[in-house]
Amino acid sequence: MNKLELSYEAIHDRDILIAIPSMAIAIGILYMPRKLAQPTIGLDAVLSILLGGIIIILFTWLTVRLASKFPGQSFITYASKLASKPVAIGITLLFVLHGIFITSFEIRAISNISHLYLFDKTPIEIISFVFLLAVVYAVSGSRAAIFRLNALFLPFIIVAIIALALLSFRFTEINNALPVFQTNLDGYFVTTYRSMLTISGFGVLGYLLFYVPLIKSPTQTSKASIIGVLWVIASHLIVLIITILVFGNIATSNLIFPVIELARDIELPGEFFNRFDSLFFAIWIMAIFNTSAMSFDVAVLALQSLFKKVTKLKIVFILSPIIYFISSLPKNSYETGLSGRVIGYLGLGLSIGVTLLLFLLRMIRGVK
Amino acid sequence: MKRQSKINHKKNEELSQDNSSFPIEISHYLEDNINIIKKMLGNPSDLIIRELTLGNQRKKAAIIYINGLIDNQLVQNNVLKEILSNQTETKTDLLDYLYQKIIAITDISKVKTLDDVSFGILSGNTALYINETDTVLLMGTASGEHRSIEEPQSERLIRGPKAGFIEDINTNISLIRQDIKDPNLRFETHHIGRRSKQKIVVSFIAGIVNMNIVNEVNRRLKSIDTDYAFSSGEVEQWIQDSFLSPFPQIGDTERPDRAIQSLLKGKVVILLEGTPFVLIAPITLVETFHSLEDDNQRWLNGTSLRLLRYLTAFIAIFLPSLYIALVTYHPEMLPAKLIFSIAASREGVPFPAFVEVVIMAITFEILHEAGIRLPKIIGSTIGIVGGLVIGESAVSAGIVSPIMVIITALTAIASFTTPQYSMAISLRLLRFCFMIAAAVFGLYGVILVYIVINIHIVNLKSIGVPYSLPFAPLFIKDWKGLVIRSPLMMLMNRPNYLKVTDKRKRRQTK
Repeated sequence: MNKLELSYEAIHDRDILIAIPSMAIAIGILYMPRKLAQPTIGLDAVLSILLGGIIIILFTWLTVRLASKFPGQSFITYASKLASKPVAIGITLLFVLHGIFITSFEIRAISNISHLYLFDKTPIEIISFVFLLAVVYAVSGSRAAIFRLNALFLPFIIVAIIALALLSFRFTEINNALPVFQTNLDGYFVTTYRSMLTISGFGVLGYLLFYVPLIKSPTQTSKASIIGVLWVIASHLIVLIITILVFGNIATSNLIFPVIELARDIELPGEFFNRFDSLFFAIWIMAIFNTSAMSFDVAVLALQSLFKKVTKLKIVFILSPIIYFISSLPKNSYETGLSGRVIGYLGLGLSIGVTLLLFLLRMIRGVK
Repeated sequence: MKRQSKINHKKNEELSQDNSSFPIEISHYLEDNINIIKKMLGNPSDLIIRELTLGNQRKKAAIIYINGLIDNQLVQNNVLKEILSNQTETKTDLLDYLYQKIIAITDISKVKTLDDVSFGILSGNTALYINETDTVLLMGTASGEHRSIEEPQSERLIRGPKAGFIEDINTNISLIRQDIKDPNLRFETHHIGRRSKQKIVVSFIAGIVNMNIVNEVNRRLKSIDTDYAFSSGEVEQWIQDSFLSPFPQIGDTERPDRAIQSLLKGKVVILLEGTPFVLIAPITLVETFHSLEDDNQRWLNGTSLRLLRYLTAFIAIFLPSLYIALVTYHPEMLPAKLIFSIAASREGVPFPAFVEVVIMAITFEILHEAGIRLPKIIGSTIGIVGGLVIGESAVSAGIVSPIMVIITALTAIASFTTPQYSMAISLRLLRFCFMIAAAVFGLYGVILVYIVINIHIVNLKSIGVPYSLPFAPLFIKDWKGLVIRSPLMMLMNRPNYLKVTDKRKRRQTK
C-alpha cells in the first residue's frame, strides 16, 4: 500500500461520528416506544429519553476521552497498562462475548421480524443464514470498508426516520400528548433506564474503547462522538413522539413493533406503493446490518489483539458458526426479546463499568 | 511434433531474452551486418536493402528499411538524394559528416546495438550502415497508414467536439497536447509486449496529480508481461485492482475532451499504441454515470440530466427484480387497482413471474448482442424481429404479459443511458443477480444483494483509490461537482477526493 492508499484507509473523527448512530440504531428503536410508553403517561417518556441520553453522552464522552489518550494502541495494550494483563484479557474476552451475542441477537431478531412482516413461509433458519453470510462477507473485508459502509447506509436510515415522521404527521392527535407530567417517579426511573439501554444500542457504544484508538490523531473525537450520540437521541425522540402522538399511549404500549405498525398506516402519495412498512423495514435491514457487522467486527478485533498470529479470516470463520448456533437458540420471539434484554443490560453494565474503572485507574496512576 | 514445437518455443524465448539482456554489438563489416539483419528477420521480401558507395573514400554503405512502414518520399528526397548528390571529399568521420550536414531529417539517432537497429527497422525507421563503422544512423521515417480523425462512435454528444482518438498513438498524444499547452503536461513512455514492443504512454499533469497515483500506475504497467496487448482492454485487465469485480475499475474513452478533463481533475490517462480507446485511472462509481454533456450544458440542465441518469441506473438494476418481488411475495405493497391490472394482464400466462422475467430479459440480451454483432445493413432486421416477434407475438401467444414487455423495454432503454459502456454491461449482469435474489427471498433478497454489492463497492479500489468516493470516505464538498453539477461559480476548486496538489481550478475575475 502506498501513502495515498493508506490515507484513505485511516479512520478519522468523522468516521466515529457516523459509526455511533450506525451502531446504536438497530432493533431496539423499533419497539422502544412500547417499552417507554408502558410505565409512563402521555408524552412523559420524552423526559426519560433526554435524561437517559444525557447520561449516555456523559459515558460516551468518558469512553472516548479515555480511549483517545492511547492512539495507535490496541485496547488490550492500554488496558494492561491501566489495570493488569489478566484483567485486560478478561475484559477483552467479555467484549468478544458481547460482540458475538449482539450479532447473534440482531441476526435472530431481524429474521423474526422478516418472518413476521415480509414472508411467513420461508424458515427462520434460512433467513438468518443468508443474513449471516452477508455479515461475514462484510467483516472479511477491510475494517475501513465497514466504516465506509456505515457512511453509505446511514443517509438511508436518517431519510427513513424523517420520512416516517413527515408522512405520518397528518395522523397525529395533540390530545395523545396529554396529560403532562403525571407519571410517578418509579415510571421515570424505569424508562430512563430503558432509554439508556436503547440509546447505547445495548451497550455497543462500549465498542468505542476498541475503535477510537484506531484514529491516528484524535483531535475532535470527543466532539464528534457527542454529536453522534445526539443524532441517536434525536432519532429516538422523533420516533417516540410521532408514535405516541399517532397511536396514543395505551395503543403504543400494546403493539409489538409500534414503529413498523406506524409505517404500515402510511400511504405514499401517488398511489404507487401502497404500504410504507415493507419499504421502511427494507431500509431498516441496512441499519441492523451495520450494527451486526460492527459488533461482529469488534469481536474479531478483540480476538485479533489476543491472538496475534491467527489470521483475520480464520477468526471470522471460527466465529460465524458459533454466532449462527447462538442465534438459533431462542425458541420464539419472546425468548429472543428476553435474551436481547439480558445481553443489553450486561453489555451496558460492561461498557460503563469498564470505562469507569479504567478512567479512575488512569486518574490514580496517571499512565500515559 | 508437439515436443519439437515446445523446444522451438523455448529456443525462441531464450533468443528473445538474450536480445533484451545481452545486447549484440554491431559488426565492423557491412557484409556481416547485412547478413545478420537478413538472417534475423528471415530475409523477408519487404526488407529493402539499398547498397551504395559514399564519397571519394569509396566506402560501402547500405540503407535498410521495411517497405510499407516508412514514408517513401521522405527517404527518397531527404536521405538517398542528399547522400548521392553530395559526394564531396571529406576528411572527418564520414558518419558524423552525414549526420551533421547531409541527411535532412530531424529525428535521427546513432545506435550501437543490433537490438536497437532491429527494433528501429521494425518500427518504421530507416537504418544507414557504413562499412568499417560500429555505429548505425537510425532515421525516423515511420509513416504507416492510419485512418483520419472521426467522430467517436461509442460516446456521442449533442454539444461538444467531434474529434475522437484514432489508432495512431502520436496523433492521440498530439490531440491532447493541442488542448493543454501546459509545460507540466507529462508523457511517460513504456514499452509493453514481448513481441509487439508497443508504446504505452502514461499522461498526467505534474503539479495537479497526486504522484502516488502516477507511481502506482507506472509500477503496475511495468509488471505487464505479455506477447502483445491487443487493446487497452487487456492493459486494463492487467492493472486493475480486483479481477473478481463486476465493475470496471478503470475508465475508457474515445474522446480527447474527456481525457483532457480527467487530466485536469488530477487523473492519469494511459494511451496505448494501436487502439483508439485510452484508459483513465482512477475512477469512482459515481463518475461512470457522468457524461461530458453535463458540463457542456447549463448547470440546471446538467444536474437534471445527471439525476435522470442515476434514476435510469436504478431502473436498469432494480425494476425487474422489484416486479418479481412485489408480484410473487408482497402484492399487498402495491395499491389494489394496480395489482388487479397486473393480475388481469398476467391472466393466461403459464409461468411464474420469475420465469416470465427471465425469458424476456434473456431474449432482450440476445437481441442486444445480435444487434451489435450483425453487419450494419441487416441491423434493422433485428429491430423488426425484436419489436414485432418478441413484443407482439409473445404477448398474443400468451407466453408473457404485456406489462412484462413494458418492464423489459423500460429496463433495456434505461440501461443504455449509462455513458460508460463497460459499466452498462456490469449493470446488466447485476440485474440478473437481483432477479434471482428476488425470486428466492423477495424484497429481503433484493435488499441483501444490495447490501452485498455495497460491501463489495466499499472494498473495491481503483489504483488504490476507494471506488465509493466521494460518498465514503465522505468528501461532502466534492458532491457539488461529482454528484450533482453545480453552477460554475460554485466549482472554483478542483474536487479534492483524489488529494490533488493544486486545488484551485477557476478564479473569479474582479
